[in-house]
Amino acid sequence: MVTPSIETTTVDVLILGAGGAGLLAALHCHDAAPDLSIAIAVKGLLGKCGCTRMVQGGYNVAVDPADSVERHFRDTIEGGQWLNDQELAWTLVTGAVERVMELENRWGCFFDRAADGRVHQKAFAGQSFDRTVHKGSLTGIEIINRLAEQVLARSILRLEDHRALDLLPARDGNGMAGALLLDIRRGVFRLVRAGAVLLATGGGPSMYRYHTPSGDKSTDGLAMALRAGLFLRDMEMVQFHPTGLALGPATRATGTIIEEGLRGAGGHLLRADGARFMTDYDPRGERATRDIVSRAMAGEMRRGNTGPRGGLFLSMAHLDPAMVRRDFRGMVDRCADLGFDLVGGLVEVTPTAHYLMGGVMFRPDGTTSMPGLYAAGEDTGGVHGANRLGGNGVANSTVFGGRAGDTIARHAVAGAAPPEPDPAVVEAAVTAAIRPLSRPAGDLYHHRERLLDLMWEQVGIIRDGAGLAGALAELEEIGAGIEATGVAGGPLYNPTWQDRLNLGNQVLVARAIATAALARTDSRGAHYRADHPAAGPLDETTHTVVRLEGDRPVAGLCPVAFPRLRPPPPGCIGGAA
Amino acid sequence: MVETKRFFFDLPKGSRPKPGNTWKAPAGTTNVRDFQIYRWDPDQGGNPRIDTYQVDLDKCGPMVLDALIKIKNEVDPTLTFRRSCREGICGSCAVNINGTNTLSCIKPIDDVKQGPVRVNPLPHMPVVKDLVPDLSLAYAQLRSVEPWLKADTPAPPDSERLQSLEERARLDGLWECILCFCCTTSCPSYWWNGDRYLGPATLLAAYRWISDSRDEATGERLDALKDPFKLYRCHTIFNCTEACPKGLNPAKAIGEIKLQLLEREG
Repeated sequence: MVTPSIETTTVDVLILGAGGAGLLAALHCHDAAPDLSIAIAVKGLLGKCGCTRMVQGGYNVAVDPADSVERHFRDTIEGGQWLNDQELAWTLVTGAVERVMELENRWGCFFDRAADGRVHQKAFAGQSFDRTVHKGSLTGIEIINRLAEQVLARSILRLEDHRALDLLPARDGNGMAGALLLDIRRGVFRLVRAGAVLLATGGGPSMYRYHTPSGDKSTDGLAMALRAGLFLRDMEMVQFHPTGLALGPATRATGTIIEEGLRGAGGHLLRADGARFMTDYDPRGERATRDIVSRAMAGEMRRGNTGPRGGLFLSMAHLDPAMVRRDFRGMVDRCADLGFDLVGGLVEVTPTAHYLMGGVMFRPDGTTSMPGLYAAGEDTGGVHGANRLGGNGVANSTVFGGRAGDTIARHAVAGAAPPEPDPAVVEAAVTAAIRPLSRPAGDLYHHRERLLDLMWEQVGIIRDGAGLAGALAELEEIGAGIEATGVAGGPLYNPTWQDRLNLGNQVLVARAIATAALARTDSRGAHYRADHPAAGPLDETTHTVVRLEGDRPVAGLCPVAFPRLRPPPPGCIGGAA
Repeated sequence: MVETKRFFFDLPKGSRPKPGNTWKAPAGTTNVRDFQIYRWDPDQGGNPRIDTYQVDLDKCGPMVLDALIKIKNEVDPTLTFRRSCREGICGSCAVNINGTNTLSCIKPIDDVKQGPVRVNPLPHMPVVKDLVPDLSLAYAQLRSVEPWLKADTPAPPDSERLQSLEERARLDGLWECILCFCCTTSCPSYWWNGDRYLGPATLLAAYRWISDSRDEATGERLDALKDPFKLYRCHTIFNCTEACPKGLNPAKAIGEIKLQLLEREG
């Protein structure tokens, strides 16, 4: 086997990930401090990877005079079941107002308009006001295309087809030295030396049988953060989106979503016998938050009230067909691509793993516990609490990505020599990455199948202690199996090697999720324990915190602070200011 | 007597694909379809080859991308292709399937008429490996039309620029482009003059900004396109419109640019 060589690139700022968070960080950082040299690394082509591009519904922001950031904040906290870090959530709702105007006026996005010439805002679930700015039902294309073009316009080094393997702390323990990357296309390592590194690779629960994130998402950022010794908060909070398309397990199309605005516009969820059921679970019916709808659907599915592909049905047939065609053109086309008639027929749907509310602990300015390391977007935890509102995801990545870029611009010094990396860490990362190329090739994908099914069944929408404990043992076994599996071919553009590296990260983060889920002995938001179904007193709740001890994730608990809004006393509906 | 010269429209010698390996379906499978896939590995050099994979459709998802993933995972781990969103939004998985450029993630295998499913990289682009084209030139061309908002008039301090429903609607059919370059690589003019002709995807992007009611650089944009090669190599062949997997009409956008240039000349 040829040992891949290591090339070195030195910059002031390294951004890992090129979704909404990474692109906005690059733009903000560049424009605030044009002398800084910035590199942005992405696993595929710029603008084509990650999940911001896949955003359908839109962007929550309180810009209507009849709405307010306080209402948006309360909806976010109540939707998050009082588990949000309130300073982060407040930064989200206030920052969104600024950022959405910036997206329009500075970066050139042109969102849909209302008759008065301002942006149009539509209804999303779990919100007290129609505040979701959008472009048809393909909002992410508009945002990512505009941001990617702006990056093309600037002297920002694009490291395309580059994946990050590990963060590199400084040799003297003082700050960041950069990150070790792999140039996937050329099969060579690239050691990027940078004193400031932004983790913005996007989380993405792609280790579940049915999931929405794109194929390049494999929780690389979270796994790197764990290996670097960082703390991850509330990793048990895995959001399942209620309306993933159900086409059976043989196709990757299963689990891709059709947007929440369909339920916002009055869409019904039906059992196989044609009956609605959501009103039995929540007075808001189909417009309840994602956690509630997904859990209700999982219950119905377990009772066997399902269609031919094991799912339930979304119906828009009782609504004005012209409205559905006009307002959801992208979704009508998407369903037609897969043989469903969204306007007049039934679309078979299943809950699908969509978003990780948990992630790296960070501050509103993007800093983390490690000097020189910043984080933004789905790699971070705390903004959304126990459940993310639809439309708050792209707001999160763009608000905090931009803020992290501003912070880095203030901290980084152009041309300053980055600290020396710890050579032992570099060597360990290189060795771990090339190991599969020197081992006999084996069947990698039966490990993947086992991982996806195990997470779906035991660490999914409904969990219990015994199942989680069993899952943890089995995850260790699967992890060891993946570790022992070699891949065929050499280092140059080897897709199976990439899958192998992805799986290593996915199984590590899966263990962090199961560890946190076992530690939380209550039920709230996306986390439901059949053996601990009660939420417990909201004001005595805790965050789970996971870190790596040796090679094993361990969990701790820490209390939740309520600096802005106090949870309601037991028996009350709604929160008390 | 006029001397006639014969032209051979054929691939250069080193790029002619040769028949490659055949991977048979497991014994006992009945619903088998052949996938003939272009393979070229820069590590091994030499001519590209066409490998044949017999895929059991009873154990395969409905899309061509499902078959490519199945082949990579179960038969040949070295098969290389791009993919990301698998829902027709990112444009990564664009390939040529039985002569037509499209996205493998939303192309049903059943829609490919009888016989083998032939999968090739997007035509007339350098190949990085197997089904992965090098899109550097296409992206450089996109950048050359400066596809970003140019407006000297400042936006209102606390609001977006007010725009009518009609002004917004002018962008429909343009903004939805996912830059898969299915159109550009289906265009004979681009095959012939790809170094100087911008191609349909980039011209569609240019027209998106020409049509943007907030943009104040229309004249400058039209000036930049007024060129016998950049724009006028389009001979309204309509392959682009035919190929677009998102149902857009780049040929119409190019026609509109030409019309605006004509009108400007008076």
